[in-house]
Amino acid sequence: MVLYILNGLYFGAFLFLTSLGLTIILGVMGILNLAHGSLFALGAFMAAWTIGLMATGPPSTALIVGIICSMALTAAVGFLLERSLIKPIIRRPLEYQLLITFGALLLMEDLIKLVWGGEARYASAPFDSMGRTSLLGLEYPWYFVFVMALTALAGMAVWFVMARTRAGIMLRAIAMDRDMAEAMGIPIKRLSSLAFMLGASMAGLAGALMVPTSPALLGIGMEPLIMAFIVVVIGGMGSLKGAVVGSLLVGQARSFGVGFLPELEMPILFLIAVLILIGRPQGMFGKG
Amino acid sequence: MAGKLRRREFVKWTGAGALGVATGATLPPRAQGATKKEVPKGPIKIAAVSFLTGAAAAPFGIPGDNTFKMMADIYNQKGGILGRKIELKSYDEAGGADAQVKLARKLIMEDKVDVILGYISSGDCKAVLPLSDELGALIVAYDCGSHELLEGDKTPFKYPKYTLGFRSKAHLGIDNIGLALMIKKYLPNVKKIAGINPDYAWGRESWRVFEVAMKKLFPGIEVTVTLWPALGATDYTAHITTLMNSGADIVHSSLWGGDAVTFTKQAIGMGLFQKTRMAYSRGEPYPQELGADFPEDQIICCAGTHYFLYPPHDKWPLNKWFVEEYHKRYNKYPTYPCYHAYQAFAVYKAAVEKAAALVGGWPTPEEIAAAMKGLAIETPSGYLHIDQDHNGREDVLVGFTKKVEGYPFPILDPKRMEVFPAHMVNAPAGVRTEDWIQSWKV
Repeated sequence: MVLYILNGLYFGAFLFLTSLGLTIILGVMGILNLAHGSLFALGAFMAAWTIGLMATGPPSTALIVGIICSMALTAAVGFLLERSLIKPIIRRPLEYQLLITFGALLLMEDLIKLVWGGEARYASAPFDSMGRTSLLGLEYPWYFVFVMALTALAGMAVWFVMARTRAGIMLRAIAMDRDMAEAMGIPIKRLSSLAFMLGASMAGLAGALMVPTSPALLGIGMEPLIMAFIVVVIGGMGSLKGAVVGSLLVGQARSFGVGFLPELEMPILFLIAVLILIGRPQGMFGKG
Repeated sequence: MAGKLRRREFVKWTGAGALGVATGATLPPRAQGATKKEVPKGPIKIAAVSFLTGAAAAPFGIPGDNTFKMMADIYNQKGGILGRKIELKSYDEAGGADAQVKLARKLIMEDKVDVILGYISSGDCKAVLPLSDELGALIVAYDCGSHELLEGDKTPFKYPKYTLGFRSKAHLGIDNIGLALMIKKYLPNVKKIAGINPDYAWGRESWRVFEVAMKKLFPGIEVTVTLWPALGATDYTAHITTLMNSGADIVHSSLWGGDAVTFTKQAIGMGLFQKTRMAYSRGEPYPQELGADFPEDQIICCAGTHYFLYPPHDKWPLNKWFVEEYHKRYNKYPTYPCYHAYQAFAVYKAAVEKAAALVGGWPTPEEIAAAMKGLAIETPSGYLHIDQDHNGREDVLVGFTKKVEGYPFPILDPKRMEVFPAHMVNAPAGVRTEDWIQSWKV
């Protein structure tokens, strides 16, 4: 039972990081970013490449450097995406957003292939080097504990930025009423870029944390993207609290679903999302 | 075959040499005085379709496509096929079955390709192969595994399903029957089994064949749990915990590509291999992918006898040549999709040459198809026979992993490797695989 809870928390950690980025971009900018999965993949490839370059040094150092490089790269790519593709369509209907961001997804996949090739990239040294702990009498990889701890830290940092800093308060104001915020003189353009960079770097962080346990492959961002959408639907668009609760709920539902209703592993998640959509279309913590 | 095999000899083996071992030829000999057909001057247009993007690109599509390119280059260096140069173009299999149907229509009707060699996904094969007869073009499926592709709904069924549609390899039945036979031989006291297979046709069919074979070979065996993770999952921790708690002696898996690597990596970390043993139906590439971490004593099937060390290089120089040539070009050992791509290309070449010898001049797609049916050729993995149902028949190699000095990853233990001959692992034409297994006298 304890292992299922831990597994749910571990999976929930990735869901949280991915959906956090998605929900920030959606909440602040009103953009449904389908390219978010590619940002996850970009983070994964960057971390795998960096860890590979530092293969002769300590794996933990390589991992930290890999994480930093991934977050920096995805933030930079997020900035470029926002300035070049998103900005011109910010006031356009939803279908423009979907088309543009889906195009960006394909473009980024090709760019990844161009830069790193089509081969799988492995970077498991940090996972292997950390070993296992006997947690409550159960063997459990230390790396999973590290992922959960770092995710909690990242979540708190984002909460701090959003709740306690001037930039965060302005971002929340934009999320509440974009036109009013603009009328109040809030630098919407600059802050939109900041929101996109923050969201993109969270996807990059998730991708970087994944590569020690899973190879970086072309198309690797699709599953996280779909799962992040489920979390956002359940938790509510633009809600940090919703991302936390949604990730925990989906993580635990999947973990216990696999353990006790394996035939319904995925349907359970979609069923929860459908029930939320019927009962509370804006999500558990979304705006009405 | 003995001694060093050079390119010239190799081309002889796989081309004209194939004529010597071709069986079941159905083409009539050319009537005396019949007009000799001309061999067109232009190049042969071959479309090679594999996943070049997406999760299946790295483990399957790119190695397969590399091999198509390598073979086109080698054949062209020796004058192509019947003196015609090969113009090979690679296409991406991504986009789903509908996209592949559109692409195949374009390739056949607009680009006028001579043959399509392609497809890794069973779904794509099922969607595209019917176009062969509809559009009158030769299509050779090279890597998809579904046994339903060329089988009928019930035994006995009419065959071949398509006049111009082929698969130049055996289907997934050989992997899963091979695993069951291996377990019966080496681990006869197995009482409980479990499964973790991807949740789509490939995974479901693989498990079904394995389960039917195991229940036939081990009456009363208990299936403790069957898990169906989504394709492309990046987290298997809950599955691994469930398998560890299942009490299964053997866990069957047809996970492939990144899924197989991710699952195995996480399973190592969580201690699954201390509790049970895995039987991978398509495990051959993964020790090489995971390196020294890949655990010993796991059962690996090779999707045929496709292994860089089998057939042994001293006994089968064609494999030695293939491994060295591929390694020289791509700095990796060939994995089973490479062998499958070789087979598709070599089967097409041999069929064209055989048909040309019989009809005189360049044959029509129907004549090539007639020559392909019943064809037997030597490949780097041994013999390949295209049976009357247009499906390949192959032996299957299964073994236990073992760390051996000189290799940076576990290889198949030379003392615990078994080759199950084609007649033991392939259902006869016209009989559904599951029905055939049920008919075994154990």
